[in-house]
Amino acid sequence: MASEELGQNIEGERPDIEQTVETDDATVTKTAELERTIGLSGGLAIGIGTMIGAGIFVFPGLAAGEAGPAAALSFAIGGVVALLVALPTSELATAMPKSGGGYYFISRGLGTLPGAVVGLSLWFGLVFATAFYLVGFGYYAVDALGVAGIAIGEWLVIPVAVAVGAGFTLLNVTGTENAAKLQNGVVALLLSILIFFLGFGLLDAIGIVGEPSAPETFAPRGTLPIFTVAALVFTSYLGFAQVATVAGEMKDPGRTLPMAMVGSVVIVTVLYVVTILVATSAFGAERLAEEGETAMVAVGRDLLGPAGAFAIVFGGLLATMSSANASILSTSRAIYAVSKDAILPGWASRINLKYGTPHVALGMAGGPILLLTATGQVEILAEVASFLHLIMYALMCVALIALRRDEPEWYDPEFRVPGYPAVPILGAVASFALILLMNRLSQIIGLAIMLGTAGWYFYYARDVTLRGAL
Amino acid sequence: MTHVLVPVAILEGGTVSSGLVNLLSTMDVTVLGYHVLPEQTPPDQARAQFEDRANEALDDLTEEFRSAGGEAYHRLVFTQNRQQTIDRIADETSARAYAITGTTGPVDNVLVSLAGDTDATQIVEFVVELIGDRPIEVTLFIADGDVASDDSLATATEQLSAAGIETTTRVAEGNTFDALIDAVAGHDAVVMGERAPSLSSLLFGEEADRVAAASVGPVLVVRSSAAAADADDSDDNDT
Repeated sequence: MASEELGQNIEGERPDIEQTVETDDATVTKTAELERTIGLSGGLAIGIGTMIGAGIFVFPGLAAGEAGPAAALSFAIGGVVALLVALPTSELATAMPKSGGGYYFISRGLGTLPGAVVGLSLWFGLVFATAFYLVGFGYYAVDALGVAGIAIGEWLVIPVAVAVGAGFTLLNVTGTENAAKLQNGVVALLLSILIFFLGFGLLDAIGIVGEPSAPETFAPRGTLPIFTVAALVFTSYLGFAQVATVAGEMKDPGRTLPMAMVGSVVIVTVLYVVTILVATSAFGAERLAEEGETAMVAVGRDLLGPAGAFAIVFGGLLATMSSANASILSTSRAIYAVSKDAILPGWASRINLKYGTPHVALGMAGGPILLLTATGQVEILAEVASFLHLIMYALMCVALIALRRDEPEWYDPEFRVPGYPAVPILGAVASFALILLMNRLSQIIGLAIMLGTAGWYFYYARDVTLRGAL
Repeated sequence: MTHVLVPVAILEGGTVSSGLVNLLSTMDVTVLGYHVLPEQTPPDQARAQFEDRANEALDDLTEEFRSAGGEAYHRLVFTQNRQQTIDRIADETSARAYAITGTTGPVDNVLVSLAGDTDATQIVEFVVELIGDRPIEVTLFIADGDVASDDSLATATEQLSAAGIETTTRVAEGNTFDALIDAVAGHDAVVMGERAPSLSSLLFGEEADRVAAASVGPVLVVRSSAAAADADDSDDNDT
């Protein structure tokens, strides 16, 4: 498509769209090549590393308090919804293996307005999610001091979270060391800690080792909380779509993208459900709720003594850190994706030659993250993050259906969703349903952000045409 | 003609010395301009900003190689993994060797290392073609105690003198790598074979990179045909 047909934004910038040829190893443009360097394990590490922090280390106490042992079911529901979206996302990602993820699919499949709303909302959604992970990290940091024998009140949680958020932003601007390998190692270590811990906990739960624990009512407050908790804890599943934001860098994307996305959802779902089962059977839902954000530390102490508490605190620090860092990176990519398409000014995606990092986009991620972290509102942060992601998930399912109904010439995905059209329809409906189950305040904030992004589109980029612009 | 890949960190002031350009005048050359990015940066983002500047610099470099003799082409790659990019482009261009650029004036003598588990015949074939009928001297470097060294040394010397190349031999004493570094002194360029990944290459980096770091001049690494065949196999599996 000629660039004149794509229109321009209010400053006269046009979308930067290059003709490309995609191979398994590289993206080839007319005058340059972009190496694909992330393999399956790297993709899984991004997905799992982003997701695992919240679901296991922050939510068990909150979720069990509201839904009782049935919180395990809430996590299972979240996992099923995530899977219903991950499958259509995989198809779109193999058809359009470009960096930008959900925003890219929606702007190309449905048009600029939905694209702009999703792309800009994703920026804020990731900002909320990162703030949420950072607050979780703050709780674990304070607990870590507690385990080390230095008892400090919870007032320290927010300052620690803000400081670490600022530190990560700075590290990402100046750090040129490749942290990807580190991320793989962190995820592998986390999985080992969890599998050991959960294995022991399961044995304990069935009564082979340790004291027999009293069974309690599965769903003490009825069935509705099961679903509202599913909406709350859905933040634990936001990571799989982050895999799609690096679609342009994945080797053999037709194969690795679906495997990494679906695989990471399945792995974390199993871990989450088992964790909740173990935690509620070891402790009972009420005591879990009393322990709040770091309930898992108490569970660890109960099962394995001080060593267990230490392992969980250590795991929690690693997991929330890796989630926060992965999300900061995704935020900067989300900003780049919309800026490249002239929905945000071009300077937002500048790179500095000294460090080779996108310092403007990282700053546009880090600033709001610090503000939100300072509020310390775990549940609101989590729900708004989920709200904004779920809008994207629902629209990705819609985009898939729109593309399939009238397949454009360029649409040739290597992976096709099984069970079409049921899977994308269910995915869209379930995503909207989870949004309806959230707190009123979270819904209002989420809607306000979406309206704001739509307003920006009409002011700044009304004349940009992206549908089908590959 | 035989193809050689010359990777250059094009946006970080990477250049090719005139000595290397002239040494490679008997070869076809692909200049691989690469730019390594941290994982925070999508390669496409860097392309949008830097590709014009990079391509201009590459055009100039390519022209230098072309005016020195053989055919010359260039590729520009934005990557997060330098070695993966070099291997891929080397496979795609069926390059027999790749160069680690260094600074050197006119090349009068070359150190050719046959030490270790490398295919001596291939290296020598490459050297014969590289030197052609130019008055460049060769020092063959052999590890002491290599079982195959006597045989391969004899064959290598024979091949080289048949091609009219003046050859001397140097046998390593003690630690082979240190001896190789010592032997580099007094030579304008090094030719060596590609080694299979080993524990020491994992710990200390590729041997060729370490030689290049220790010597100032350029190093030509002859790719092993086994590695090339492996790459072909895996390509076949993928498709």
